Amino acid sequence: MLLCVSASAEITCWEELLDALDAVSPLVDDVRPGLAFADMHGSPGSPADWIQRTREAIAPFVLDARLGIGSNKTCARAAAHAGDGTICPAGGERSFLAPLPLALLEIDPKVMERLRLLGVERMGDLARLPHGPFVRRFGPEAARWHACACGRDPAPFVPRAHSVAIEATMFGEGRADDEAQVIFALRVLLSRICSDLERCGKRAGSLQLDVELEDAGTQTFDVLLASPTIRERDMLDVVRAKLEGVCFEAPIVGLRVRASRLEEGGEKIALFAGGDFDPQAIAVAISRLEAMLGEPVRQARTRSAHVLEERFVYDRYVPPKREPLHEERLLSACDTLIPQLRLMAVSEIDVRVRNGEPAAVALDAKPPRAVIECSGPWRVEIGWFSDAYVVRDEYDVLLDDGELCRIYRQGAQWYLRGAYD
Amino acid sequence: MAMPSQPPSRHTAFATLKAGLDTAALAAPRPRIEAKIPSSVPALDRALGGGFPNGSLVTLEGPAGRWSIAASLVASVTCRSAAAIVDDGGLYPPDLARSGARLERVLIVPAQSPLAIARAADVLVRSKACRLVLVPAPELRAAVWMRLAGLAHRTGILLVAVPPSDAPSARIAPLAAAAALRLYCTRGRLETVGKRGVWCTIGGYDVCAEIRKNRTAAPEQRVVARAAVC
Repeated sequence: MLLCVSASAEITCWEELLDALDAVSPLVDDVRPGLAFADMHGSPGSPADWIQRTREAIAPFVLDARLGIGSNKTCARAAAHAGDGTICPAGGERSFLAPLPLALLEIDPKVMERLRLLGVERMGDLARLPHGPFVRRFGPEAARWHACACGRDPAPFVPRAHSVAIEATMFGEGRADDEAQVIFALRVLLSRICSDLERCGKRAGSLQLDVELEDAGTQTFDVLLASPTIRERDMLDVVRAKLEGVCFEAPIVGLRVRASRLEEGGEKIALFAGGDFDPQAIAVAISRLEAMLGEPVRQARTRSAHVLEERFVYDRYVPPKREPLHEERLLSACDTLIPQLRLMAVSEIDVRVRNGEPAAVALDAKPPRAVIECSGPWRVEIGWFSDAYVVRDEYDVLLDDGELCRIYRQGAQWYLRGAYD
Repeated sequence: MAMPSQPPSRHTAFATLKAGLDTAALAAPRPRIEAKIPSSVPALDRALGGGFPNGSLVTLEGPAGRWSIAASLVASVTCRSAAAIVDDGGLYPPDLARSGARLERVLIVPAQSPLAIARAADVLVRSKACRLVLVPAPELRAAVWMRLAGLAHRTGILLVAVPPSDAPSARIAPLAAAAALRLYCTRGRLETVGKRGVWCTIGGYDVCAEIRKNRTAAPEQRVVARAAVC
């Protein structure tokens, strides 16, 4: 039997509540914030006792949680939805679910609307539909909906991993007045952290550093490691980069380092792994750059779009995993040069038009230069369905001084977008 | 009379396994740290004696074609390693991807001011995380370029600086003095496909690279490479 705990999705102390549920059952499935299941198989007492124990355990954290018990996730959740403390009887799942609304199955709203038009509004209506034709009409996902409506939920129970707190502290061992002392203490703490991580088979994705000052003040630094690591030196490099330029108003009397965002340890071995690509070294460089520049290091991703500016997007850089070296990839680079468009800040330009195409272009308030070759126009139309309707004609023009530019006309005005290099 | 087959001894089994492992290791492509980074442009690589030298400061000067060569270098490096580009806002990633660069291995560091560009280059070269660091070359003191060139030499990183196309020679003199290799790039013949107008597309153009300085070989060689749009 499973016990469902359903609360508001905006709950702030969800992790603490899950920790409290460990007292009820050692196996807790954290589906999402606000929804969890506890496996009660073998627990002493009756279902009513389980609900009572759970209510006592979570009372300090949340008051409006609803509890329900059923033989699977759908039934337990439906029981919690039907009323706090409801128990779905074993063997009577189908009849228990029949009067409940379809919304419990979290079906796509468009499909819900189609089902409503077909007169299917309750779980019982869905369970009565023939399985084969229903799945053929609504796709593979419909098989799961049908099984759930019949009281059989194929979703597996996935117990959450227990959180491990790894931290190291140094208090009451004098005070640090200069940087070297602080770095030495940090090195000791990080060494302990790395030993603990190694023992647990984990890697840390970030560190939290608390600095206690002699004037009773505390400063906290969140140090994000671009790639989870267990290497003490990498951690120290990043922490040093983070502390660069920081000024403390009083001597330091205590330090605490806590490892968080823990991941399972292990990395693909480098025996046959490719190249000299080292994600850890990149992670350290990224942390230093971000600490220095105050801006994230980026990674570009291309995508299909009509407008030049929308054909790529920048994300925060995440080092990819090591991978084996493939010969075909080594030879994948082109053996010819590809002209590179260099984007410029969009600026208005004067363009003389002859026979419908650019004949002379004036850039940077200089005298107009004749167009030797002209390629285009390529019409771009976007947003025709909204108020942001844009029509532009783009041209590549070769000027008489050898410059090859990308210009475009939008409305009556001409703009310079970039130059090929 | 046939003897019953003996089970392989422990030593035999181990030797067989080891031989298989050695064969697999030999067959697998091994990472190599070459002294030069090829640019994927055969004519240019021949003129440079195999490619751009690791551990040096290289400048790509001239009015056109500099970033095309730089992109081919990025493509060559990202096959095996990572590259970093200090971006002053002009980078157009789709063209970089078309040149064969693996974008997931390209760190793009946004930096606008000369000081920020220099500091970013310093961190990147010092970290040895990327084999190629590509920076737009702002106006900096000679000491800064000397320091970056020394760092590149010590760490074995190829640092490529691309000054603006309209930079006067006096402005890039400090950079030119520190560089181990200077290429001056110009655009040659442009080829169009189709009639002028809406059906016309630019098919490609020639990039002429002149080696103005080369500490490891004779300079004054002129190379023509083809840049194709399609």
